[in-house]
Amino acid sequence: MNWTILHLYPELMSLYGEYANLSVLRRLLEELGDTVTVKTATFEDTPDFAGVDLIYMGAGTERSQKAVLTDLERYAKELKQAVAGRALLLFTGNAMETLGASVTDAAGKVWPGLHLADFTTVETDRRTPQDVIAASTLWEAPTVGFMNKCSVTSGIETPLFSALSMGFGNEAEGGSEGYAAGNVLATHITGPVLVKNPAFLQYVAARLYESRGAELPVLSEDAPWRVHARRAYEVTCAELSDRLGK
Amino acid sequence: MRLMLAIIVCKILRFIGKLVGKGSSLPGQYALKICPDILGQVQLPKHIIAVTGSNGKTSTVEMIAAVLRADGREVVYNAEGSNQIEGVTTLILTHCTLSGKMRGDVLLLESDERYARHSFRYFHPTHFVITNLYRDQLTRNGHSEWVYDAILPAIHPDTTLVLNADDPLVACFAHGHAPEKVKWFGLEECSVSSKEHHGVYNDGARCPVCKGKMEYSCYHYAHIGHYRCTRCGHQRPAPDFAVTDVDLGNGTIIIDRRVTINLAFRSIYNVYNILAAWSVCSLCGVGERVMGDVISSYILKNGRMVRFTLGGHQGTLLTSKHENSVAYDTNLRYIRENEKPCTVVVIVDAISRKYFTGETSWLWDIDFEQLSAPHVQRVFLCGKYVNDLALRFDFTGIPAEKLVCHESIREAAEQLRAEGEEDIYVVTCFSDRDKFLSQTQRQQ
Repeated sequence: MNWTILHLYPELMSLYGEYANLSVLRRLLEELGDTVTVKTATFEDTPDFAGVDLIYMGAGTERSQKAVLTDLERYAKELKQAVAGRALLLFTGNAMETLGASVTDAAGKVWPGLHLADFTTVETDRRTPQDVIAASTLWEAPTVGFMNKCSVTSGIETPLFSALSMGFGNEAEGGSEGYAAGNVLATHITGPVLVKNPAFLQYVAARLYESRGAELPVLSEDAPWRVHARRAYEVTCAELSDRLGK
Repeated sequence: MRLMLAIIVCKILRFIGKLVGKGSSLPGQYALKICPDILGQVQLPKHIIAVTGSNGKTSTVEMIAAVLRADGREVVYNAEGSNQIEGVTTLILTHCTLSGKMRGDVLLLESDERYARHSFRYFHPTHFVITNLYRDQLTRNGHSEWVYDAILPAIHPDTTLVLNADDPLVACFAHGHAPEKVKWFGLEECSVSSKEHHGVYNDGARCPVCKGKMEYSCYHYAHIGHYRCTRCGHQRPAPDFAVTDVDLGNGTIIIDRRVTINLAFRSIYNVYNILAAWSVCSLCGVGERVMGDVISSYILKNGRMVRFTLGGHQGTLLTSKHENSVAYDTNLRYIRENEKPCTVVVIVDAISRKYFTGETSWLWDIDFEQLSAPHVQRVFLCGKYVNDLALRFDFTGIPAEKLVCHESIREAAEQLRAEGEEDIYVVTCFSDRDKFLSQTQRQQ
């Protein structure tokens, strides 16, 4: 199969290694014999959502997020249409916040969101960077990662993660986290979350296949990078769980 | 009265602390409880120099101290790295008379970028050196703009800023500051510069002021170089102090087209550290001859580079910082440019020695592709996070047969001891380096 991925604002919405989410997804799909094209769109471009299978945006600084939000608002209608159709959307880190009705910055200025969902976000002057263990609503294995946020997001009724045993959720310590509805998947977990979580990666790949009415083929368990990813995940899980027990 | 009491308590606690080997922040903490505004009451020296930034603080501060002392100044500085307000308070009060007059000609402070605003609430530096700002310890710092916002309130209008002109974010500190109170240092286009950006990510791609597209006429490393925003015009200022030529091969640099300095450590980092030290010492009235002589014969004392032997191998440990891809990239560039056959050892065992985290995102920001070179014969990956490293290397062009994975650092060292005679470079953090060095014969 041929897949087209649209990576939005890759230079700016790149806090720590976000690009790697697409590197591993691409590797997985290519190992299945598929062809993957990754297109990028930034301020000077007009994003082309036609025929796109996955729209991805990663985390940025608070100022970068506002610049992107202002720019992307021009294409909110096309983005909504693409997601209402076949395209899957994955936003990580504070890219998630742009999907809601608004983001209020620490100075109190309200920035209109893309309105793909009704939730709202309020930034604070406190940052809570911390490790995360999350229980997903969509796959079994716990998700691990890191969150680097200074905001509270309210009004989400369909979270991606039902609860966190470590970390600050949408609104509270240990509370539910992220957003999942239709073709939209979002989490405030920062960085290469698909690299760290083989189950999350597999879920995204399966959703792509599903969007074409197909089932994800069985993945080779002995590809070295997948072995490394699985073991790395196990070590991180063990380390974080051990920490949790202390 | 409270002032004197706080000074006495601080001195006594510091004396006891030294006897029992305790840290330097507790005495200051008690002194601040007794007299919260004590730093505003004591009489400080004529020159107060602070140094902050993501990288190079300690090296720059040590170099400044060496130069000023050679010039006959009495320098008081936080050599123990106690760079938060409690440690700074201890430092100042232990050098005060009971009436609150600090001894010394210069107070020199390595300042934690996140806590500078607390340290400088009651007094302010006469000179504030800001070296650079980039991705560093996201688990504590968030991101570089967050750090920028944390430093900003620490800047007093009367302070002379000594800024790295080549860092577009650092250059923003000049906005709103009196122009005559801003001095710039920078590196002119030279042998280490390139027209293309190198690295996995480019934090200089967009303007820190308006997020417009940036153009670089040259890069020195990462986003450090000669930049101009195509939208708002934010651009590299002309430096007041400049390195005008660099010859890393022969280990020399030229400052302001006339003073040649020998480099003890041939790294681009060291070039900037020297230039920062040169700039501020010059502003404090030190002559070029003294600065040139001291810096040329200056040996880095911070142990960032350690030589060792292991079996038939000669080895060099290059201390990087976990969670800091620029530090890694600089050391990898050093290895890449030394074209002798070698084995490289990368260790990630404890991500920090100060706090717990399992965060490994930063590995994806490191340009490990630099090790994809014929003279790099093998790459050993070690430590608890060996699988994260191996996964990262699966996404480089380095052939799998060159990679050797060991969770155990001891086992990696044993294999190296038993095999070969090529040079070894070890790249790791303070948190992990002694785990490897303890397996070797360290050279002085």
